[in-house]
Formats: sequence, structure tokens, C-alpha cells
Amino acid sequence: MASKVGAVGDITRRAALGALGVGVVGVTAASWPRLTAADIPGRGDNSLSIVIQGTKADAAAREKLVADFNKVHPEIKVKVQAIQSVDWKDFFVKLLTMVAAGQSPDLVYVATEGTQLFAERLAEPLDRFVQRDASVLQEYFDDVHPSLVEAMMYKGSLYQLPLDWNAANMYFNTSALKKAGLELPPADWSHLDFRNMLSSMKQANGSDFTPYYWTNRLFGGVVPWLYINDTSFLKETKASGGRWLWDGFYKNDPSSKMRAGGSLWESPNALDSRVEESFDFLRGLVKDGLGVRPEEGGGNSLVGLFASGRIGSTPAGGYWVEGLHEAGMKEDEFDVSFFPKWRTQRHQFGTAGYAIMKTAKDKDAAWEFVKWAASKPAMEVAFALPTTTPTRRSMVNEALYSGKGPKHWKVFYDTLDKFPSTGPIPAPPEQAAVETALIKNVSLAVSGDQAQLKNAMKSLERDLDLALGRN
Amino acid sequence: MKQQRWLPWVFLAPTIAGMGIFTLIPIVASIVLAFFHWDIISAPEFVGFANFAEVAQSPTVQVSFLNTILFVVVAVALQLGIALGLAVLVTEKLPNWLRSFFRSALFFPLVLSAASVSIFMKYLFNEKFGVVNWLLSLLNIPSVPWLTSPTGSAAVIVLVYVWQNFGFSFLLFLGGLASIPTETYEAASLDGATGWRKLVQITLPLLSPTTLVASVMAIISALQVFDQPYVLTGGGPGDSTRTAVMVIFETAFQRLEFGQASALGVILTIIIMLITAAQFRLSKRFVFYQ
Repeated sequence: MASKVGAVGDITRRAALGALGVGVVGVTAASWPRLTAADIPGRGDNSLSIVIQGTKADAAAREKLVADFNKVHPEIKVKVQAIQSVDWKDFFVKLLTMVAAGQSPDLVYVATEGTQLFAERLAEPLDRFVQRDASVLQEYFDDVHPSLVEAMMYKGSLYQLPLDWNAANMYFNTSALKKAGLELPPADWSHLDFRNMLSSMKQANGSDFTPYYWTNRLFGGVVPWLYINDTSFLKETKASGGRWLWDGFYKNDPSSKMRAGGSLWESPNALDSRVEESFDFLRGLVKDGLGVRPEEGGGNSLVGLFASGRIGSTPAGGYWVEGLHEAGMKEDEFDVSFFPKWRTQRHQFGTAGYAIMKTAKDKDAAWEFVKWAASKPAMEVAFALPTTTPTRRSMVNEALYSGKGPKHWKVFYDTLDKFPSTGPIPAPPEQAAVETALIKNVSLAVSGDQAQLKNAMKSLERDLDLALGRN
Repeated sequence: MKQQRWLPWVFLAPTIAGMGIFTLIPIVASIVLAFFHWDIISAPEFVGFANFAEVAQSPTVQVSFLNTILFVVVAVALQLGIALGLAVLVTEKLPNWLRSFFRSALFFPLVLSAASVSIFMKYLFNEKFGVVNWLLSLLNIPSVPWLTSPTGSAAVIVLVYVWQNFGFSFLLFLGGLASIPTETYEAASLDGATGWRKLVQITLPLLSPTTLVASVMAIISALQVFDQPYVLTGGGPGDSTRTAVMVIFETAFQRLEFGQASALGVILTIIIMLITAAQFRLSKRFVFYQ
């Protein structure tokens, strides 16, 4: 033992420093790919780099999709990177940071919330590609509702081919309905019918039961209540243009004449009397204990509470089906209906698809992936489970909901077919700031008296002005 | 010896390089950026003091800075008060093994991620399904809208913040208390001083250097509060829990006004520096060294 200690003690300071130096150089060399970020998928080679919102597991789940694509295009290498984020707003923040750092991907999976932000600043219009490959794409457009396509247009140009979408429909817990002696409402029910249903459910169910639970956000929060009252918190107009698409791919569609170059939201509308009326309706629900004061957050956290029978109804899209199934709900334990009618029965929807970045290294290769991802075989791989609603009408069928429900799954696509005015999430290029302005005033508006509601509307108008850069 | 003059610099070099790259350059860049309009994608455009003028006039900025100051006053007072009280109790009354246990247990929340804690607390304080309201219902207390009313959400944020941060001040006070000579207390006991008089006339004055350090650190930290209000309430309802750093974040990453966000960062830094300088200046009157 003594000799060993002596051996260590014999090492000179110079030798120790030298060894330390060698060690530092070795560690640096070994971690060089990480230090230079060369280990990020798609970096340093000519791969088509695709960014999606999700986890590493979500990126891995697309491997089958990529493998199938490579059977058609073996010459195009594809790497998928997932960005984990709380919501689309958070996702865009992280993506913009990547772009600012000079690490722009080639393709990004973007939802309606970001379509106009990307169209204005980052994305390449698809018009020339779509027109070039019109013969191949006609089959896609024949299968996809024009409202979804129009939502991907900005100032007359198309920026994405929508692949999945969801409308704000109304989910009901059927056991809560049964306890109250109620049936699923008819298609043309009104907002007052809804209120009466909530009252009945409240009386019939226990004190820890909530008839209506809603969250404070851009999708499924206050906006569907504004849409059915034929208004919105932003003035909505249509951009000109887009005839190249409607007169070509949708020339036989009866609604093609009413289509244009995409929606524009350029000014606030919070002081419209109908906006106040809708908010007042929700305020009444909160005041009478029929609905909760809305908190921030997505609807996914509600799945467990809904499945355990503590929530009677909530707005959500087809994306909820798989979650409820996994939470143990049988197909007859929940059902879905259209949102109730007020002045109109216009629903709110959001959709998503791949956007090609202006900075993409090889835009033709990127387009090949976009085109292939919109093909039916690819979409059948991508949307095998009811975790969302595929944009192809032919895929929203009995097989997709087999054994999972809900009984009235046809409601999902009928929302578009029966209500052609159903519109996209109001998401101008300044969506993140607009959403913040909306969220921060909603809870105030529905949680106090009339005076507080009026003040919240004034505050919303002022905040939206700021968000839209109008003052 | 002359040959080894360079040696300290070799050891200091990594730290100096790290400070330069990750602290000094961002600080300088932020100050410079405060005079530009930059939306992350387009080229920056020089705008002089326009960003400062713009943010100074914003009602949201004014409210958020006021919220932050109010938060600092309440949270820091609670944080230091609870930490000092527990430190005195633990030092006075408990055996060594129990003192070690409390030292670890009370420090533990500090090592947790503030975001994770806030997500957890969001469930606890949910108005309809949270455990807190369920416990209150057992006492026939009606449901409280913790996270959806201005008063409730402010209270929860302060509570969560203080719970998570007082452990650090507690450890500082424990160290400070250990450094007070026992002879001083023994002499006071001989003179017939009670526990309260010993606390007021010996413990608190001799603990004042520790209190100064703890308060400086607590105020700087509280002025930068972000995670708890961001996760728990998103700054709402309205602007009632929006803080200065939240507005900086929103201005930069949601409104893409990086110049204005930098201007706000500069303003907040100046406020922190002024408050800290004032604390050190006042300390000459209130801090006693043995």
C-alpha cells in the first residue's frame, strides 16, 4: 500500500497538469459533435430536415412514414426532429429561435395557429408546385373539404396541404345525460337548450360534478361561442385571389364561388355588442355554477376527469377519442354533437400540414415529401388511430372509430359538410400576441359583474390593437 | 516564482471565458439591442430611445412592474420571516439529528424545478377538482377560485414561491445563528434576560449581516419571478399576476419585439441595481458586526 501511495506522490505537478490537459483535449474531441451541434438530426448532410411538434417518441413514430417515402424516393434522405412544447405558441417560439440561430429546418408541421405567421415570414408558397402536379393532386383535393384548404391560404397563395384537422364539437358524458333523463341533443339545438341541459345535469349529478368545463385558449375557449353568435373578437375579412385553386381543383364544388384567398384578421372587434353578448352568456354559466371559470391549458388534462364522470360536457375535436378510449371509456359512455346554434351554427376548426421553409436547401425534394405525405397511403400510416381527424373525408369512417366510439362520429366531418361557413381559428401572423391578449381578458370578463365585463372588453380591444401593431 | 505568474490565469481562464461568453456578451448585446427594432428574422434597425419610450407608456408594462414590486414586498417579507422563525426554532429547541432532518427537508423544495412544482400546484389549487378546495369543503368552507380570481391567484403564487425559496434563507440564518457566540447569551442570562429580549437585543442585531445578505439575494430573486406565475396563471386573470420578467418574455417571444424586450431587461436591471445599492447604503445604519 505504501509503495502505491508513494507512486502517486511521485507524480510531478507538471505531469499532473499535462495529464489534465490531455484529458481536457480528449473530452473536448469526444464531445465535439455535441459542442458544434453536429449531432442534431439532418445537420451536416443533405438530409431533408423536418421539424414537428412533439416528443422524441413522436419523431420515432414517423420512421415508418419516412421508410415508406424512401421506397418511392430513395434518393432523398429524411430526418425528423421533434420539438417538445406546451402548445403551438410555445412550439413557434422555439422554432423561431432555431431560425434566428441559423438552424432553419426544411419542412415544418404547422397548425392553423401558425399558418399566417409562416406565410408572412418563413414559408414558401406551394402554388407553382401544386399547379405543376395538378393531375396527381386532383384526387387529394377531391377528398378534402375546401374550407380546410382555404384555411391554409394567405393572400391568395396556398402554403400547406392540410393533413389533419379538428373542429370544436361538444362532447357529452352519456352517463351524466342519462342521470338527468336527457338524450343527445338534436343537430339544430340552441345555446338556450344547452343551458337547460346543463341545469338538468347539475341537479341530477353530485356536488363534485361540473356540467360544463372549458379552458381558456384560442381553440375551444370563447371563440366557438363568438362564432355561433355570428361574430368574433377580430374583424374577419377575406383576401382576394385564390381563383387559380378554386376554379381548377374545386370547380365542381358548390361552395367554390364563396372561396377566396384566405382569411384576414387585421383589426380588433372586441367592442362589438355580440361579442359582449357571448361573453355575458358564458358569464351567466359561471355565475350559476353551470360552467367553471376557465383556466389556461389544453384539453388533454381533462380526459381523466371526463372519463371518471366528473365533467358533463366540454368542447373538443376528434383528437379526444383515442384519449378517452385509453382512459377506459367504452364507446357508448361518451358521445359528440354539433356545437349549439345561436344566430348561426358556424363552428371553429384548426388544421395542420407541412410548410416548406423559404430557406429549404432543396425545395423540390421538400415538395416531393409534402405531396407524398398528402397521399392516401401515407395518411393511412400517419393517422391510423383517432388521435386527430384526417382531412380526407374517405378516411373518417367506421373503421377509424371501430370499438372506440363515439356513436355519432359522423359529426366530425359533417361539421364541415353541413356548415360550409365553419371557419378557422382566428390566427393572424401575430397569433401569439393575439392569443395572450384574448386569454388575459377572458377570465376577467366571465368572472365578475357587468361592469367588469365591459372593462374587460375595453381592455381586450386595447390589447388587440397593441398585438396587431396598430398603435 | 516569476515563472509561475501565468499559472493562476490558466486556472481562471475557463471561468473568465465562460463569464465572457455566457454573461458579458449577452449583457452587452442586450444593451445594444435595446436601441434597435428586431423581430428575430429581419435585419435589426436602429431606433434610438424609441423602445424605452414605447415600453414606458405601455399599461401592461406599468401594471406588471407594479405587480412585481408588490410581490417582492410580500414574498420577501414572508420568506425571510418564516426562514428566520424556523431557523431560531430549530436552533433553540431541537436535538442535532432532528435539526439535520429539518435542514434537509426545508431546503428540499429549492432543488425542485419551479416549473414542475407549479404544474403540480396547479392541480392542487384547481377550483373544482383540487385537493385544497376538497380539504376546505370538509370544513364547510365554500370553494375558492384560487387560480381564476385576482386575489386567489396572487396568494397562490406568493405561497408557492415562498414555500419553494425560503429554504435558502433558512440555511443562511442557520449559519448566522451558529456564528453567534454562546457566551453572549450566557452573559445575558446571568443578567436575567428573557428569551424574547435575547432574540430582540442579541440574536437579531448580531444576525443583521446575515439578514442583509439574505434580503439582498431574496429581493434580487423575487424581482425576477417568472416560472410560478407563468405556469400557474399565465399572468392572469387580466394582468393581475403578470410580472416584469413575464412581460419581457412575452414582448420578445410572443410579440417578437426583441428590442423592446431588451429595453425592459435594461430597465429591470437598473431597478435591481438601485434597490441593491439602497440596501447596502441603509445597511450602514442597521447592520452590526461583532
